[in-house]
Amino acid sequence: MVQYGGDEVSALVLDIGSSTLRAGYAGDDTPKAIIPTSYGFVPVTRDADVSMTEAGADTEPAPPREESKLYIGQQHGPSSPTSILSPSLIRHALKDVLRCKPEDHPILVTEPAWNTPANRERMAEIMFEEFQVPAFYIANTGVLNAFAAGKGSALVIDIGHSTTSVTPVVDGFVLRKGLVHSALPQLVHAHAKHTLITASHNHPPIQLFSHQLIANKTPVEPGTMPRFTVREDRFSKTTPSLASYYENREVEEWIQSVAGVLDQGWNDQAAAQRPVRHYEFPTVGELFFAHSRDLVASNPHLPRTIPALISQALTACDPDMRQVLMGNVVLAGGGSLLAGFGERLNNELVRNFPHVKIHAPGNPTERRYGGWLGGSILASLGTFHQLWISKEEWQEHGKPIVAQRCK
Amino acid sequence: MAGASAADVRSILSLPNSSTPASTQPKRAAPLARKPSGISRELYSLIGPSAPTLVAQAAKPRLKQKPNLGSGGSTKWEWRSFKNPARTDGLELGHWVKANTDPSADYPFARYNAKSADYTYTQDEYTKLLEDPEWTKEETDYLFNLVREYDSRFYIVTDRYEFATGPPRSMEDLKDRYYSVCRKLIRSRPWAGDEASKSQIISTFQFDKEREVMRKKYLLSLENRTSKELAEEEALYVELKRIEQNEKRFKQDRDRLLRTLLGAESGLPDLPIDEDGPLGDPKKKKKGVANELDSPATPSSSLFASAVPRRAQSAKSAAHDAMHCIQRTDGTTPAGTTTKATHQAAYLRSFRLAYPKAAVAAKVTQIAAELSISLSRLVMPTRDTLAQHEALLEGITTLVEMKKVTDRVDQEIRTAKMRLGMRESETPAETPMDVDEDVQAPDTPGEGRAQSVVSTRSGRSRKQTGTTNDRRSVSVSSVDTSATSATRAGTKRQKFS
Repeated sequence: MVQYGGDEVSALVLDIGSSTLRAGYAGDDTPKAIIPTSYGFVPVTRDADVSMTEAGADTEPAPPREESKLYIGQQHGPSSPTSILSPSLIRHALKDVLRCKPEDHPILVTEPAWNTPANRERMAEIMFEEFQVPAFYIANTGVLNAFAAGKGSALVIDIGHSTTSVTPVVDGFVLRKGLVHSALPQLVHAHAKHTLITASHNHPPIQLFSHQLIANKTPVEPGTMPRFTVREDRFSKTTPSLASYYENREVEEWIQSVAGVLDQGWNDQAAAQRPVRHYEFPTVGELFFAHSRDLVASNPHLPRTIPALISQALTACDPDMRQVLMGNVVLAGGGSLLAGFGERLNNELVRNFPHVKIHAPGNPTERRYGGWLGGSILASLGTFHQLWISKEEWQEHGKPIVAQRCK
Repeated sequence: MAGASAADVRSILSLPNSSTPASTQPKRAAPLARKPSGISRELYSLIGPSAPTLVAQAAKPRLKQKPNLGSGGSTKWEWRSFKNPARTDGLELGHWVKANTDPSADYPFARYNAKSADYTYTQDEYTKLLEDPEWTKEETDYLFNLVREYDSRFYIVTDRYEFATGPPRSMEDLKDRYYSVCRKLIRSRPWAGDEASKSQIISTFQFDKEREVMRKKYLLSLENRTSKELAEEEALYVELKRIEQNEKRFKQDRDRLLRTLLGAESGLPDLPIDEDGPLGDPKKKKKGVANELDSPATPSSSLFASAVPRRAQSAKSAAHDAMHCIQRTDGTTPAGTTTKATHQAAYLRSFRLAYPKAAVAAKVTQIAAELSISLSRLVMPTRDTLAQHEALLEGITTLVEMKKVTDRVDQEIRTAKMRLGMRESETPAETPMDVDEDVQAPDTPGEGRAQSVVSTRSGRSRKQTGTTNDRRSVSVSSVDTSATSATRAGTKRQKFS
């Protein structure tokens, strides 16, 4: 036990992402609870959509239902000004799903590297005041991803649900000047949605309804207009926010199963050689998608591509450090599981840098929840326990202790 | 064998069955049933049932020991709360520990809480020693705080450095300031140890800002090379290596020539040539051998040709073979070893496929690929095809080698031309450098040809005189050579006249 440097104090690790919230015990290799950050609630007054931010704060999460308004939590990352840190979601994760008493466990929370000081102080406040945790620490997802890969210094490429970030990490500290991030995944998503709902040469415009809204459909030839009937009883009650949630989910699923990138950049010939993909929407019968320039992610005209982000991050770093960083590239986040992405990234990097080594966990769980895993490793280390912000310290020093301790 | 019973023997010898069949059967069955499993059957049939007790005991069936799970005693673990002495507050965390560990012991991980030595200074020291026009006291304080906070990780210090009123600082600025302050502090403060350790400590805080900046600049320019520049560099490097090699070879040749011309008189030590010999010669020898082997009359074919007559068959069998389309081969066994008609196992011809030599294999396969021929596999490895295949391989190999040679020669010609061009363009510049040689022969106009011989002579004499008097050697040699050249010129002139 001691030789691994581990000492488990039954700490909790909470990793709040834009699409899901991960919670579990430090020392485990996978989070015990993975909870979507979007949840439904029944509004008290039957007005139009209530302001989402207000509604989310004090309602208990429930699975989305037809008549419920939808609170889309953390849609833009926990740090954007519109987002709120929802204690109800955390309470749901800790009390209803993990079924633990937060006052018994020290808790480690993750934050993106561009989190604002106000936000992390608010998080500390929630933890100490609402949940009465004995100790608290907030760590950076970039650093944690590097730790999950077993590296102290790394260039972490994290492609999440809403944000792509490139974080240079040196000795467990983020180089803030080299940190870059862009909303590339959102752009990919929007582009995919646009591709689907507009007619093209191989498919009619697709209506993105989810399965539970479809009463029946008749099979048709590929490429012809779909024939289906919707369930009117459910359809009429679906609120706009729920409808858009369903739409986004359909698009997300389509991206995950059909979209991909080519190994060597865009090339008409290589694209033509790829086999067509078969996909069936709830509203439409079979459709075949071949690689085309219109398809998401193979489109080279996206702003601020990942290689651009990387080179921007590197130029902000010291020349001595660049070699080290490029030798320790860590690929993380669910978005990096896009078909062919790893090979493409490798090809692009090898073309531009002499010595590149990419660490990309093959296990999808490790890849998607690398931030949580790193937190789990960190919070179960014996040497880490001196870094916790204890309740006593919080009461004594107040908010400044957060910035002082969590560098 | 041992188990062959009497009944078997009888039946083999077709003897009538024994009169007491009933008695033999149980006799045999009884000992068999009691045969202990530890003794082999043969041994048992020899010694019979009167086995020594020891053996019987030793032969007790040995089973694996049952795992003893219970008696070791399970270690008790208990949940204990502990205090971390590395913390300043009274936070108590809990963890599982073995019950037999000492509860009063310090937390084992607290000892990793190492602090690096940091330097502080008083206001007095600052005003006396550390004033710097570019740094204020506040900024220096800020820098020292940051360095302490991040344990001298200057990459991170530079990243987090945000001093509102100060100018932007590079990592070199920060390091320079920090280390210079530390040096001054150590130097001025009373030192407990001896001078050596003090200077050693100071040397660890040495920092040369100019050099570091220069190094970073070089590093950047290295990184920013384009691929074209990289290729050019590579080519230049290869060319340099080649020139060096040529130079060496030229020198060797010259030395060898000198030695053969002048023998022991040359004054050159004999050792190098002996050293060069084993180094240089085997390569050449090897090459020569290889060339011989590669000569069109391939050894295998010649062997084959010489082997065939030796195995000449009678006219009758030849006719028989021809009628039945039988071709007798002697395989590829070397002819010399067939003193005895050894048995030759059947083999597939495809196993005896010729392969290109390892040195040129890549190029040969490339050429074969261009011809869209697979060298490693023949669809129909008949005798004729194999012969063709071998011939093709030979052809390709020769082609590749010829190409190599022509390439080399071409390259040499090119460089020679380039050098010629350079020399032509530089001749006016070169002449003044040869002054000492020109001075030697002012009285021999138009006798340039003698120069080379003369210079070698001068070298020799220089060597000889150098042993006696180094200072005068140059003048002596020049006198010597001028004298010889004069005499030579004189003789030549005589001839001409």
